[in-house]
Amino acid sequence: MHQTDEPLGAAHTAVLPAGPGGASRTRAPRRRILVIGLGAAVGWGFTSAAAELARSGWLGAPAFGAWRTVCLAITVQALPFLLLGTALSGAINAFVPASVFSRALPSRPALAVPVAGAAGVVLPGCECASVPVANSLIRRGVTPAAAFAFLLSAPAINPVVLTATAVAFPGSPAMVAARLLASLVTAVVMGWLWLWLGREEWLRPAARHTGHHPGHSRWNEFRRGFQHDFLHAGGYLVLGAAAAATFNVTVPRSVLDTFSGSPWLSVLFLAGLAIVLAVCSEADAFVAASLAGFSPTARLAFLVVGPMVDLKLIALQAGTFGRAFALRFSTATVVVAIACSVLIGGALL
Amino acid sequence: MRHRVQVLLLVLCGLGLLHVSLFSDLYLRYVKAGLRPALIASGALLLVLGLLAATLDGRAVAHEPAYDGTEGDHEHGRDHDHDRDRVGDHGHGGHHDHSTTPRIAWLLFLPALSLLLYAPPALGAYTAARANEKAVKQQSRFDRLPATSPLPITLTDFTQRVQQDRERSIEGRSLRMTGFVTPARQGGGWYLTRIIFNCCAADSQSIRIRMYGGPALPHDTWVSVTGTWHPQGTLGTKSAAPALDVSATRRISPPVNAYTDSLPLTPS
Repeated sequence: MHQTDEPLGAAHTAVLPAGPGGASRTRAPRRRILVIGLGAAVGWGFTSAAAELARSGWLGAPAFGAWRTVCLAITVQALPFLLLGTALSGAINAFVPASVFSRALPSRPALAVPVAGAAGVVLPGCECASVPVANSLIRRGVTPAAAFAFLLSAPAINPVVLTATAVAFPGSPAMVAARLLASLVTAVVMGWLWLWLGREEWLRPAARHTGHHPGHSRWNEFRRGFQHDFLHAGGYLVLGAAAAATFNVTVPRSVLDTFSGSPWLSVLFLAGLAIVLAVCSEADAFVAASLAGFSPTARLAFLVVGPMVDLKLIALQAGTFGRAFALRFSTATVVVAIACSVLIGGALL
Repeated sequence: MRHRVQVLLLVLCGLGLLHVSLFSDLYLRYVKAGLRPALIASGALLLVLGLLAATLDGRAVAHEPAYDGTEGDHEHGRDHDHDRDRVGDHGHGGHHDHSTTPRIAWLLFLPALSLLLYAPPALGAYTAARANEKAVKQQSRFDRLPATSPLPITLTDFTQRVQQDRERSIEGRSLRMTGFVTPARQGGGWYLTRIIFNCCAADSQSIRIRMYGGPALPHDTWVSVTGTWHPQGTLGTKSAAPALDVSATRRISPPVNAYTDSLPLTPS
């Protein structure tokens, strides 16, 4: 599922000694034709198999149709937000000098974390936009702990999402307050946790966001950075959407009833459901409202975990920051988010 | 990924988004209507980006043979090592590290081509059988029903009035609803169903009314149903079943936006 480019790259280096050697020059066109040919064959096979499945109405066909619809829906829904995030990240890279951030944030990292977490209020959108923005913040010299606090809080505490939560839970403003508080606390705790335990080497060293270079057109740099980030993150988005759609289509909702009875299991179960369903943070409150059999604390866990960790986000983070980071960070975030939801949910709901 | 493939990918993604949002209503199968301006803007942006890349970076390619020669080879998958190697390289050449894109981007061809050539259908009976039941809001006051007969009514409104309206205003009324057919698991029969979502098709919920009588129809058929409340339980309380005794059914074509619980517009 978390297939990334590394293994492929390793295979290439084995076949082809890196560097502009004469041998690679002559072999390159043939290999390229092979790659394109293979890609075309796989694509054609996939399309014709899909068409065949759709025509012959055998048992799997409706499931496959629903899978394609959900997969495409997640992708189409996320694309505008991903573009917004990519554009912001490209603009930060090309137009905003690093000194702006060092002046805006407190110089002590432990203080910068809560400020950055609260600054998440200003990014209106869902979680796909925040990953590229957090990445560009790190590249511009913001301490990673503060950027991660922003990454986690932005999709959960912005006005659009809080309004949607208030609409979905009419007559219970405590839910909105609990969501705001639990998400913010989780984000800040994760930032501090990174200061305490995090290691730079887990982050993939990437040199492409190096800011403005004298002698280059800023607009051209912006455009190229934008194009690169979009293609890169977009690929991971499709991967994550496919994984989420698989769970979305195959898990029957009747299993929900078996878990709703136990207060502890129901919290863990809804947190897990938030991870595999990958519902956009602007819509997850409506899904939570429909999970009528569950306790308010369990639903709060669904609302807090969902915007911070889900399959498409893990794929996006693995693509942006590296797999070593994404797995550790997501696991820790889930634990902290569940703990915060239980504590704050227990107090407020 | 080579420069020309990147251009192709950007243009196809842009065209795919424009195809479903600007030139047709296909996007309504996947996302809510309110996202249309964002989709059109995204499609146009990607298209412009692709065309700019083709014209501006294309010249750089022509001036610099190494661009899609050796560089095209070790860029695959080695993006980051490669970036590190080239950090000091920025001063010369019409391009820099952004020309390298890992292979994961190839996956974007799937949604792009899918949108352009073979847009999958809206969700139907398969999903309805697995989706959450939509939570029906509590309502204490109900407006008087118009005197029209048969009375067009939404599935949500019908369920609310059956279970919450103490005035029992739908008692004995002839009602008309539209939706698609899903089979009932127990006791044969079928449900009139709508799938509703708030953001995209991944957060779908279903609302179903049990139908008694009427012809056996294949699932996913869109129908307009006329009938009266099926007496079961006490009308106006939770015990009343949201069910209908069918007197007539008529096949209709699927609505453009299938994911709303809107009033039937079919003339009588």
